[in-house]
Amino acid sequence: MYRDGIGRLPAFLKVPGTRLLAGVLTVVFAAYILWKIGQSPDQALQFAFNGLAVGAVYALLAMGFTIVYSTVWFFDLYYGAAAALGAYGVFYLSSQETLQGRYEVDNLYISIVFGAVTGGVVAWALREGLSPRLRRRLNFKALRVVEGVLAASAGIYTGFLLAYPDNLNLMLSPVIGVLIAIVVGWLLYEGFWRIMGRAGVRPFTLAAPGGAVLGVYCGSLVASTTEFNLYLSWGVSCLMAGAVGLALYRGLYMYMRQRARSPLIMLVASLGVLLAITALTTIVFQPTPKPLPEAFASEPWIVGKAHLKGFNIFAIGVALLGFVGLLALLKKTSFGKAVRAIGDDEEVSKVVGINTTTVIAVVFFIGAVFAALASILSGHDTAIQPRMGLLLLLKGWIASVIGGIGNLYGALVGGFALGLVEQFGIWDLAGEWKDPISFILLILFLAFWPKGLLARR
Amino acid sequence: MATYPRGNSRLRALAARLSGSWRMSRSNFELWANLLVIVAAAGFMLWRGPGFAISVGTFVAIWAILAVSLNLLVGYTGLLSVGHVGFFGIGAYTMAILTSNPAYEQLRTEALPIFAWPFFAVLPICMAVAGLVAIAIGVVFNRFRDDIFVLVSFGFAVIAFNVFLNWEGLTRGAFGIHQIARPAIGPWVFDGEVEFLLLVVFFLGLVVLACWFIVTSSFGRVLAAIREDEEAIAVFGYRVVHYKLAVWVISAMMAGLAGGLFASYTTFIDPNSFILLESILLVSIVILGGLSSIWGSILGAMAFVLLEEGMRFVPFLPTEFIGQARQVVLGLLLVALMLFRPQGLVGRYKL
Repeated sequence: MYRDGIGRLPAFLKVPGTRLLAGVLTVVFAAYILWKIGQSPDQALQFAFNGLAVGAVYALLAMGFTIVYSTVWFFDLYYGAAAALGAYGVFYLSSQETLQGRYEVDNLYISIVFGAVTGGVVAWALREGLSPRLRRRLNFKALRVVEGVLAASAGIYTGFLLAYPDNLNLMLSPVIGVLIAIVVGWLLYEGFWRIMGRAGVRPFTLAAPGGAVLGVYCGSLVASTTEFNLYLSWGVSCLMAGAVGLALYRGLYMYMRQRARSPLIMLVASLGVLLAITALTTIVFQPTPKPLPEAFASEPWIVGKAHLKGFNIFAIGVALLGFVGLLALLKKTSFGKAVRAIGDDEEVSKVVGINTTTVIAVVFFIGAVFAALASILSGHDTAIQPRMGLLLLLKGWIASVIGGIGNLYGALVGGFALGLVEQFGIWDLAGEWKDPISFILLILFLAFWPKGLLARR
Repeated sequence: MATYPRGNSRLRALAARLSGSWRMSRSNFELWANLLVIVAAAGFMLWRGPGFAISVGTFVAIWAILAVSLNLLVGYTGLLSVGHVGFFGIGAYTMAILTSNPAYEQLRTEALPIFAWPFFAVLPICMAVAGLVAIAIGVVFNRFRDDIFVLVSFGFAVIAFNVFLNWEGLTRGAFGIHQIARPAIGPWVFDGEVEFLLLVVFFLGLVVLACWFIVTSSFGRVLAAIREDEEAIAVFGYRVVHYKLAVWVISAMMAGLAGGLFASYTTFIDPNSFILLESILLVSIVILGGLSSIWGSILGAMAFVLLEEGMRFVPFLPTEFIGQARQVVLGLLLVALMLFRPQGLVGRYKL
């Protein structure tokens, strides 16, 4: 079965010099970089830092792409639409606040569509997660009614949230308060239980008030601070993009994969999804490039003569954090084990009792969240436009090919490598050539080194 | 008991008698798809008048040349190429630069070389340049297949667009090239719309003939075998690599021809006509019309242009978003096709 899609080298290309040529190209590029660094170390530092900042975005894209691709083995182009949705979600949610109402996007349809998607996803989650646990104890019909009511209220809540983006912090504060209360309460409960055992005070009597107090405090803090709006909008738009990805898998791709004959059929279908979502984004938000509000408006640090922007350092941190989180998820949890099993052989993992539908749907959610996060980080650095999704998607592909398709370490390494090569490549050329540079790098890699830097084991 | 074809067989018999080439084995769905598109096209032409029909017909014919040539790759050989617009652009820029007219030189910010060659001499050069680029690229791209091929062909489209945009000494970058000459034979200039339509339809006919010849020859049968199973046909001793390279170059030359016609028809080109999205739309035309079917590609081009006109009927849609609305419909159509009819409207091969 062709998983890599790379055939043998044509006979007339199979001269003994190809490896040599690849080596020579690498050495020449390295020598060029070293020569440039020798010329002006300060500028080199600046370029390296820019490369790492751009590379962080590519690494995030490549990681999300890798986890999806190495599970289902087809190129999901919705991924690009998720990137555009993430960036435009932030734009939509924070435009009235920070851009002084210059861009009036007040669309009822957005609320309705995303409310419906959220309602569906919540209904699905309840049905997959809650029903099997409570089915024995509760009346089946009552359970269905409760699920329906919960899902509908979640959908309506999301709709209202998106209808009043000005008061995002006010609207979200109860949710954040409740979430923090639950988490803190659970931590306290577990902590007491572990340390004290069941003797002494009852753990619940301490944990419940502790969590409640902290939850109310955090909720009121969020409600009273409008500066949180931007960061809240990041979270909301990432979740929205993820929810759309999940709904898309569960509602469409799942049925399509059952009868698809080749990976191309899935690719074309997701191409249709990408076309439709990109065009809808253009209709709602106009095709012209838009700026995102400034995040972390701080003075850049000056090292040598290089300016290091705080936001870029934050982006690199997010990429590393995302990598560690994803790695922990894949290697340490039973969910990660299931994901890897499905990637190895879906049929067999179905046979041994893994609920493949649920696991793959969650994988799609995670992938779309990573894409949205990456596009938000790049959108704060440059402007956003509806077409950016496709280009970001392609960059994510390239990064994961360079790192080695289907390998998470490879995604991180490939992303940063691509960013560095792009930035050092435009040192002597103009900045507009960075897209051709990355695609030429891709073709060189596929021609000479198709397994990438770190081959999948 | 004899078995009859399902559905409205009387209608199909009528179609068979009327068209001559229609076979009774074709399904009802194909008949209705053909009827729908053709009747819609005829209705629009009657409604909007001959001027509309001529200008839209020219665009349909140019799109059809592109779609037929891409169908050679996607439908007949199984190479899903998204980089076709690159060859289209190469043809268009070759035409624009080589026919450049000294009379408008003062308008140009960058000094462009002046050739002022005649249209009919440049048209073969357009094809040759596209073909040469295709050879150079095809040697490398031959190695890839399936989704990796899609990825690298995306790459070719992006690289070509950036070259058009940034090589300002040759293409004038984002300003584009104005006043591209219309074709002329001696004193007779093709500046009328009807004449140009006839010219484009003539070339469409040539391309269709060439495709038909390729597809029905033994060469075409090898291509179909490559599409179905590349290893199996290689075992029989066919040099798969050479066949793929040949069809890639032929298809690119046809796209170059379409580019030359396009540049001469619009008399103005800029890189925005050759963005990646156009290429994706082209692929969706081919898939919508029907894979592995020449008539399907023409039908797809017609449906694509008609879709845009049909969008004018959608209420509450501002006119500047008609193209976007068409994209939405096209995207949803693609998804529906992949679900229910993977061979497209009248195609012979399921993706």
